[in-house]
Amino acid sequence: MPDRKASHPQAMAPRVPGRTRTAPPMQPASWRTSTRMKQYSRFGMTGWIYLLASLSAIEMVYALGSGPEAYEQMQRVFAHPLAVLFHAICLFSVGYVLVRFFGLFPKAQPARIGPLKPPPQPVVAAMLYGAWIGITVVLGAILAGGVF
Amino acid sequence: MGVQKTFVITRFDPDKDEVPKTQSYEIECQDDWKVLDAINFIKDEVDASLSHRWSCRMAVCGSCGMMIDGEPKLTCKTALSDYGDTVQVEPLANFPVVRDLVVELEGFMDKFKHVKPWIVSAKEEAAHRAAATMKEGTYRQSAEELMEFKQFSMCINCLLCYSACPVVSNEPDFLGPAAIALGHRYNMDSRDGGQAERNEIFRGEGTVFSCSYANECSEVCPKGVDPAAAVNQAKLNAVIDWATGFVVSRGGDE
Repeated sequence: MPDRKASHPQAMAPRVPGRTRTAPPMQPASWRTSTRMKQYSRFGMTGWIYLLASLSAIEMVYALGSGPEAYEQMQRVFAHPLAVLFHAICLFSVGYVLVRFFGLFPKAQPARIGPLKPPPQPVVAAMLYGAWIGITVVLGAILAGGVF
Repeated sequence: MGVQKTFVITRFDPDKDEVPKTQSYEIECQDDWKVLDAINFIKDEVDASLSHRWSCRMAVCGSCGMMIDGEPKLTCKTALSDYGDTVQVEPLANFPVVRDLVVELEGFMDKFKHVKPWIVSAKEEAAHRAAATMKEGTYRQSAEELMEFKQFSMCINCLLCYSACPVVSNEPDFLGPAAIALGHRYNMDSRDGGQAERNEIFRGEGTVFSCSYANECSEVCPKGVDPAAAVNQAKLNAVIDWATGFVVSRGGDE
């Protein structure tokens, strides 16, 4: 038998086992190389990037509370090319997840919410992208010193 | 004119085998065959001991779901010409295997019944609403009301979505895409009065909020039901139902 990944041994098992002995549930032999699985794994792996980004943000806040020297040292670490690369990967991951989420969110609206009907799916998608662009512009302006 | 193809098929005999094994069959296939035609040919002409399920041959009964080259497919709807010289045929992933390509369906039936997949008789305000739309003893439903759930009523329970779902493979208690989609279908039906009961089920463990919206179920659905949309719509409805419960009385037994 080729290499196959087991599903949970109780996956889709009946509450009362039948009289016939069954083979345990499995994933297909090609589960590692299937396009869908690779896509889903890529999406799942962005979680590790957010974990690392969160840890570095905590480190930054800790440095901020440890005095100006510690903060400047942290700034120097963040200026390192590897740290810049990491932040570029973070930005790419956020974009990837947002685009995926914006693609899936509109169809998650029921035909009616109580007595109300949500707007058509393309309008919902346009609102999401509009909000994303708007927030990015405002944050960019704040960071660039254009506001406040 | 035929073409030679090799089928690598998973075999499992519960009386003899400890674990499933594979067996290869080389046969001459016709150009217009579906995968099911080839499996039927092997069963009829080469090896009568091979077990598989099938019935209608026109993607209506949902019996012939199998993994073809690692993807869940309805074999009666899958053209053999889309595959290479070697085709791998396995039983549906995530299901216990009864024999060869036949999987155990009782687990699904347990989950299926859990969502009350029928029109729950209308009570209280739902009865009032139903009475308003009832004429000459029949429930009347407008085309617009039908369109709110029609897509989700097209499910043929082929269970390809369960094979593709990463949550089903890891969480045995998860109700799964088809069962939730059907529950949502009845919740959206203007004739139904069981939304409160189903939404309570949907707020429980192993139901809609276990779904990570991988969308795999919708990718493989052969009928365009889009179970992922149904599951995620059901999430919103379950939350709204919970929230409105604080401000709107549902009545009760006097």
